[in-house]
Amino acid sequence: MARTAFSRWWLLAGASAGALALCSASASRALGARAEPEEISVFAAASLADALAEVGRAWEKASGYRAVFNFGASSDLSRQIRSGAPADVFFSADTTQMDALEREGLVRASDRQDLLSNTLVVIVPAASGATVAGPRDLAAFKTIAVADPQAVPAGVYARSWLEGLGLWTELAPRVVPTLHVRAALAAVESENAEAGIVYRTDAAASKRARIAFEVARGQGPPIRYPVAPLVRSTRRAASAFVAYLRSPEARAVFTRHGFLVLGGE
Amino acid sequence: MASSCSEASSLLTREELEIVGFSLATAAGATLLILPLGVLAALALARYRGPGKGALETLLSLPLVLPPTAVGLVLLEALGRRSPLGGWLAGHGLELVFTWKAVVLAMAVMSFPLLVRSARTAFEEVDPRLVGLARTLGCGPLAAFRRVTLPLAWRGLLAGVVLAFSRALGEFGATVMIAGNIPGRTQTLALAIFHDNQLGKDDRALVLAAVTTALAFVALWTAEWFTRRRSRRIAA
Repeated sequence: MARTAFSRWWLLAGASAGALALCSASASRALGARAEPEEISVFAAASLADALAEVGRAWEKASGYRAVFNFGASSDLSRQIRSGAPADVFFSADTTQMDALEREGLVRASDRQDLLSNTLVVIVPAASGATVAGPRDLAAFKTIAVADPQAVPAGVYARSWLEGLGLWTELAPRVVPTLHVRAALAAVESENAEAGIVYRTDAAASKRARIAFEVARGQGPPIRYPVAPLVRSTRRAASAFVAYLRSPEARAVFTRHGFLVLGGE
Repeated sequence: MASSCSEASSLLTREELEIVGFSLATAAGATLLILPLGVLAALALARYRGPGKGALETLLSLPLVLPPTAVGLVLLEALGRRSPLGGWLAGHGLELVFTWKAVVLAMAVMSFPLLVRSARTAFEEVDPRLVGLARTLGCGPLAAFRRVTLPLAWRGLLAGVVLAFSRALGEFGATVMIAGNIPGRTQTLALAIFHDNQLGKDDRALVLAAVTTALAFVALWTAEWFTRRRSRRIAA
């Protein structure tokens, strides 16, 4: 009897020692968490994925803050933010989607800035022998991958370019709408679409798709990428990040990825 | 009939009716496509007792539990333009990816296990001695199936067909990967609901969701009815 009580005492002592060790470990981790850098959530157009991730890494090094990115179709991201997604910064590929946030008071007009521009290109699989001398040649393709022309900026731009030429009605039945511009690029890269219309910056990064035709600046619709911190974001880092996007370091990265940086200072 | 038609068209727009029609047609096509192979597989599983039965059953049921996107990816890799098979098919004039044929194929693969599982249960309930008896009386295997197995198992088989059809009607993940989401060409009800929500047209998405719910209810209820009748008959 005494022996069992004794061993039970030891068991209890051991268990409480273990619990104590666990507690102190988690406590020290909690204390460590407090020292962790402030983290912001950046919702950004899919076409910005490579360039902005690079800018983000440089900003993290320079500022000590952290940026977590959610890349997608600007139309989706705008809808998510309007439904309450916890974004601190929105970087859209067109003004329409930013306007939608401004109308609901989610961003302030004074905080907005059109930062970048881009151009459209027609791409074909790298192995394809197709040539595109002009927009009319698009009619030779059975499938043309385009970001959803009803909402996604890259698709809306492509549609407005073709509408301006009076070609949209003829080409619309060949359009394969995709979730965002990078999905249109992927459909051409996999050769499942014979051609696609994407931004020049998307095509430049791809080895498996080549540019068959470039829409000259001034020929297509004006492409603008506005950025703004969200009004409800309480993080100082959000404004700091938006300010950093205008820095010479960030501009150099965007330029290297093929974007046109607006408002040259 | 005419009045019910005009009533339906006042409830749904022409575009919505087309989506419903396309979904019903592709789901029916997919069900018809898998019917012969599904019946054969179900018969084999019901009668076969040898090694590897469990593995085979599991393999055939996989699409039931795999993420549909995984199935879609496998289909895309196997039948995309860059794959040998897809390239060969395209060379012979059969374009699959981003066409209605891809919709049917995705639906077929995803609903196959449901058909096989229900049909197998139905076939298993047929006393093999009856089939054996028919064979000794001079029936060939096909005649024995047609005159003994089918009359005894048709309710269960039909329940499987209806289940497969409903599953096909609801297919989303594999379809969107291999057929895309092209309004007027590959857009089924399931895809249209997603697309409308993406565009912020939630009211239309709700209308289409209501239509799918009604269709699924009718289909499931029919399948249940067949199954109930079967069990009552077996009990009797």
